[in-house]
Amino acid sequence: MNLFNIFLRTFIFPGFLFMLILALFLHWLDRKLIARFQGRVGPPWYQPLADLLKLFAKEDILPSGTNQYFAALLPLISFASVLTASFYLPVAIQSVPSFQGDFIVLMFLLSMPSLMYFLAGWVTQGVYSIIGGNRSLLQYFSYEVLFLLAMSGTAIASGSWALSDIRLTQIKETPYIFPQIIGFLLSLAGLIGKLKREPFDIPKAKSEVIAGALTEFSGKKLALWYITIQLQAVVGLSFLIHCFFSGLWQMNTISGFFIFLLLLVILQCVLSAISAIYTRLRIDQLIHLNWHIFIPLTLLHNIYILLK
Amino acid sequence: MSKITVPIGPQHPLLKEPLSFLVSLEGEKVTGSVLRLGYVHRGIEKLAEQRTYIQNIYLIERICGICSHIHSTTYCQSVEALLKLEVPKRGLYIRMLLCELERIHSHLLWLGVLAKNIGLNTLFMYAWRDREIVLNIMEEISGGRVSHSVNVIGGVQVNLNESHLSLLQQNLQELNKRVKEILRSIENDRSFQARTQKIGYLSLEDIKRYCVVGPVARASGLDIDIRRDAPYAAYDELNFEVPVMTEGDVWARSILRIHETLQAIRLCVQIINNLPDGPVSITAPRRVPAGEVASRAEAPRGEVFYYVRSDGSQNPARLKIRTPTLTTLITLPGQLKNMQLADVSTIIAGVDLCIACGDR
Repeated sequence: MNLFNIFLRTFIFPGFLFMLILALFLHWLDRKLIARFQGRVGPPWYQPLADLLKLFAKEDILPSGTNQYFAALLPLISFASVLTASFYLPVAIQSVPSFQGDFIVLMFLLSMPSLMYFLAGWVTQGVYSIIGGNRSLLQYFSYEVLFLLAMSGTAIASGSWALSDIRLTQIKETPYIFPQIIGFLLSLAGLIGKLKREPFDIPKAKSEVIAGALTEFSGKKLALWYITIQLQAVVGLSFLIHCFFSGLWQMNTISGFFIFLLLLVILQCVLSAISAIYTRLRIDQLIHLNWHIFIPLTLLHNIYILLK
Repeated sequence: MSKITVPIGPQHPLLKEPLSFLVSLEGEKVTGSVLRLGYVHRGIEKLAEQRTYIQNIYLIERICGICSHIHSTTYCQSVEALLKLEVPKRGLYIRMLLCELERIHSHLLWLGVLAKNIGLNTLFMYAWRDREIVLNIMEEISGGRVSHSVNVIGGVQVNLNESHLSLLQQNLQELNKRVKEILRSIENDRSFQARTQKIGYLSLEDIKRYCVVGPVARASGLDIDIRRDAPYAAYDELNFEVPVMTEGDVWARSILRIHETLQAIRLCVQIINNLPDGPVSITAPRRVPAGEVASRAEAPRGEVFYYVRSDGSQNPARLKIRTPTLTTLITLPGQLKNMQLADVSTIIAGVDLCIACGDR
């Protein structure tokens, strides 16, 4: 692969630029859909981009006493880890190098923003930030376990921790969405917790803790946080599509690309509908739901897959 | 667990009007709260003493942006009692119509705020969309969406014509359907129940001890309603029920308020069907004979109490206003104790505060 090709793949397609466009598109779709569900008109298509550009132009201030470098580093690290995660995933059906255990690496990279989010709460020292950060950590310990367990059903079934093997087994047999529909739904619940979407948006519940850990952030840093969260949605959904729907397409084809986009849009519709329907849970209700219902269910599901 | 004091207010997304709560937290649990009031105190009672009785109608209407009509109604009632005026029936009916429309508007607004605070934005949008129907009706009748300037001493200054009545008939039917739909969806929503049931409990003893009135009292089993117990305007000629529940939590308050909205729609339909003919007002003298009078009315949030003392001049010698919000505010620290931080927003929204009314 020559240098130009590497540049193209890293920054244009399916790298940074494509991911960014996809993230902004999904974000717009989300807002538009929720608006339509709620009987509103919703924003025009360029709204997420306009918001982002405006934020980049805004003054960047933090409370005095905050470690400025650390506060700037946190969104950068989360942004970098989400973007790195996207390089391990065949986003848009572009084949990528795979190795034994990249499933776990991806899990780790995707959980980085949550940890950084918690630290952001501590670094900026506001009351609301600290509570928001604490809540995100509490939430982290419930949905992260759920997400990992539910997703690992696919790895157990294929007998490998490599993403390429998970894909190949599905092409040989059947996409895991059919035998593992429960695992898929539970992973989706875990992903909602990861993305801090309603009804699991407890760390940034507006009527309780303003904007949670990001309350004190502004300007470029806040914009970076927003991009990170939007990118995280794309990478998380792609991860889900890869693990449960592979086999519905051929790699590196135009038709595969469109099937992938279609699945992405459908999943986003499901997430938006869930956001519009449910009331935000309380943190104890979330933990109860996760540890008493979802995680036992996931364990039973995984045992069933193992025995099969 | 570390202790944190969280300031809620005077500026906070949870509050639509300035009010300050200092909530002490232990983890997520509330251990205590300090209430501070007075951010929107405008000294209206004192201002009223410097204005004439007629000027005061418009001043009093500015006490609150949600229940403006009920304030001016109660004020006009007390002045009319001092003047011993007999207000024409049609005037009273139009007054009642606006009172009930205002109740619908206030309750739907409140439902939206509660839904927003517990993170159910869809219900917030639906409730406020349906509230637009009432606002449009009120604009059509009086020209104003929230401040109507309908009342004058001796009656009202607007009249209803045939087109108003047919507009009301149509829109109230549509509204009735939509409110029933909202009630149905709330009653079946498990996540809404999980966030509101057993939250902000007030027992019947607490209600009596704090003299709480209105929907909050009725949700705890206290069966009071000025419209039925001491009828003003022409409420004794109308047929309506006063819903009462015994659970005493935010859930009961929500369901109760929606039932009250349905009753208010029913009342509006009765009013336009039985609207008497005749004038809407009679001329009142500018000077009010010396004397004192107390007047009560049922605002959307409960009993409003007006005391007016006249010394025979053009201006009232004293005007005392007691609004229902003040009593509910006092119950808040007790309700918040040992609750979770997430429930603070539910509780504060649940009692339906009108800070502007409370501070005046």
